[in-house]
Amino acid sequence: MVKSLLASCLLIVISACSTAPADPGGNAAKSSKEAVSQSKELTFLFNFASQTIDPHLDYTPLRAGVTETLVKLDEDLNIKPWLADRWESADGQHWVFHIREGVTFQNGNPLTAEAVEQSLKRSMEVNPGVQQVLGIDQMEATGQELKITTTQPFPQFPSELVHPNTAVLDVSATDVGKAPVGTGPFRVASFVAGSSLEVVRYDEYWDGIAKLNRAHFNFNEDGNARLSALMSGGADVVYRPPVESLSTLEQDNQYHLDSVVSLRTHELIFNNQHGPFQNEYVRKAFDALVNREELMNDIMGSQATLADGPFLSEFPFVPAYTSKQTGTAAAMEWFKKAGYTVTDGKVMQDGKALNLKLVTYSSRAEFPIFAQALQSQAKELGINISIELLNSYEDYLLEQDDWDLGTYSPLIAPRGDASYFLNVAFKPDGSLNFGKVNDPELTSIINQLDQTVDIEQRTTLIKEALERIDDQTYYSYLVHPNTLVAYNDRVENWETSKSEYYMLTNQLDIQAK
Amino acid sequence: MKKLVQRSLELLLFILLLSFISFVVMKLAPGDAVREIMRSDDVALDHAAIEKQREAMGLNQPLWQQYGNWLTGLVRLDLGESYMTRRPVLSELLGRLPATMMLTGASLVIMLIIALPLGMLSALYSGRAIDRWSRVIAVLGTSVPSFWLGILLIDWFSVKAGWLPSMGIGSPKHLILPSITLGMTMAAVYLRLIRSSMLASLQQDFVQGARARGIRSGRVVFRYALRHALSPVLGMFGVSIGSLLGGTVVVEVLFAYPGMGKLVMDAIQHRDYPVIQGYMVLMTLLITLANLVVDGIQAWLNPEMRLRGEKQ
Repeated sequence: MVKSLLASCLLIVISACSTAPADPGGNAAKSSKEAVSQSKELTFLFNFASQTIDPHLDYTPLRAGVTETLVKLDEDLNIKPWLADRWESADGQHWVFHIREGVTFQNGNPLTAEAVEQSLKRSMEVNPGVQQVLGIDQMEATGQELKITTTQPFPQFPSELVHPNTAVLDVSATDVGKAPVGTGPFRVASFVAGSSLEVVRYDEYWDGIAKLNRAHFNFNEDGNARLSALMSGGADVVYRPPVESLSTLEQDNQYHLDSVVSLRTHELIFNNQHGPFQNEYVRKAFDALVNREELMNDIMGSQATLADGPFLSEFPFVPAYTSKQTGTAAAMEWFKKAGYTVTDGKVMQDGKALNLKLVTYSSRAEFPIFAQALQSQAKELGINISIELLNSYEDYLLEQDDWDLGTYSPLIAPRGDASYFLNVAFKPDGSLNFGKVNDPELTSIINQLDQTVDIEQRTTLIKEALERIDDQTYYSYLVHPNTLVAYNDRVENWETSKSEYYMLTNQLDIQAK
Repeated sequence: MKKLVQRSLELLLFILLLSFISFVVMKLAPGDAVREIMRSDDVALDHAAIEKQREAMGLNQPLWQQYGNWLTGLVRLDLGESYMTRRPVLSELLGRLPATMMLTGASLVIMLIIALPLGMLSALYSGRAIDRWSRVIAVLGTSVPSFWLGILLIDWFSVKAGWLPSMGIGSPKHLILPSITLGMTMAAVYLRLIRSSMLASLQQDFVQGARARGIRSGRVVFRYALRHALSPVLGMFGVSIGSLLGGTVVVEVLFAYPGMGKLVMDAIQHRDYPVIQGYMVLMTLLITLANLVVDGIQAWLNPEMRLRGEKQ
């Protein structure tokens, strides 16, 4: 009888093997040209999955070196020519872009101004965000020259062309969602939605043939699974390994760890239109009370840089901020100025303790811990803070008014220009104006900035705006979090891009096994 | 025929009810698809632009009107377009269906490989060592969460041994760890069910009679007892097929396995309402169809049930 049971098991195992899946990428059908040496093959593991690789909807094609934009952001956060080698505008509304010569799409078609025009048109058609961000009124292509007129003067227009969804692709190619044809160093070999993108070297790449023959751009949202993949050899480069694994990775000389300051800023949001935070001195009191060092060193494992304002200090338009007194004593002084009584180290208003509501979210693991730390610091001053973790956080902040404090981590200058952040976060109808800031003086500076073409004048205006924000303490800027990347010792020339836009490049290399 | 029409009407009504509830719940849940679509976190937008887009997508219409539009589309087998990919929802879902079915099927096979022989042996050797061990396995299996088991398996077989891939799809090897994770969790439940069902079956008069007639022990177990014992197991399977398909979500995310579960998780994150709604409908259909198949097999295995059904 036991034999019969074993025989049944064997049958089941055989039938299980027969359920083996077909090759989804159609790898067997790859052309002989693609069957290049496997020695220069790298696997990169990213932390967000792409359901499509339509470059106008998704960032992955740009990150994977399949597509390129007209303009790119360099590591000093300046905009540089890419597919456009120069551009000019006298009035900030009428632009002439010269499209680089000698560039071909991965199907051999030449890159012309006409092709760029078609690509930009498609991008605006399929992506309402791009349509909004570009604000193009009309385009006219002649040879390698593309004339663009924006609906209104738009001095920072070139920097908006850094956006990955403005990437240039050959619109005549079919199935853009699965096999887009761009101008980058790699072309798409196969794509499995939500799982992996395989790219192979494009031999006619204009900026020098890629050192890798082939690369796998895989996705996994689980930090531990990403780490496991690195340690098992299933991945060579892993984006955002779990913070708790850093000491292990640092101690093992098989792995390298890159920690680069990102373009995000963790901030404490004050509800400027509600309760105590309408008072500028209360905002200043909380700004003084926040323990940034604790957040950076203890809560974030030193993977951050202290923030003086919203922008990284290396941006040329950042003013020289005056240093401020921090700590409980400084906070109490501000509370006194705000009209609160401070007795025995406790802050009271009309004999009553202050009760505040802090809202936050858990997808940034440090925020709930930071909220608790702040709650405990405030308690020492007799201030009660209740903490609420929310799911649809942004909507709550914008639509509700029953909160006092919040945490957030916006992208401050995704394309190197300050006007994006100033417009969305400080204009009364800005889509990220969570603090409900409504300062006519600040709005006027931002409006002026939006009409100014001259770089020096723009820098002056941005400085003015930032000084006003600092003076009024509309938000409390905490730290700039770092972007972490771990890779094994076979990988060469990996560069962690601050903008998180550029990942697989023609310079990236791997030592043969 | 009459029964088929009756079941089809029931299915239709069920889909309508479920789709309405899910539609309402989805719309009441906080979150805004428009902000996601317009990438409000890195594009300079004002509230007017967001409102304009919301209007263009018909998301400012009353709920009943939005549901009506969706239902009209459903009649034409048009489940709308995914906000994430701008592709038809039906093709997105059907594109992922084979991967999920493969994972579900392989997990079932793993479950059977573990639960069937162990359950039978533990019934046949009740109270002996194998029975005690199977009880330990069952307790462990039901108490270990699937994601934790998955992480353990990745650590053992991918990181330490380097035998199997820890994520993705593409070869039979990719299927092994996720299906073991799902299959083992399920096996624990079925192991005990098969054991108790088999024990009851072995006590049946016709089994005792067969033994008394001197029929070979193996034949008695497989031909008489097992066939009878499988009927309640199949009944339970019909009930648990929904949780099995739902259970793939956790495993698919952990192993970056691109099935329907992973698709719907991403859809929820991106507030991709058409995909979420389409998933609900397709799942309802699949679960109902699977139950129909299970009913059929049960009737085949147990002629008494079939006859009872016909009399009714």
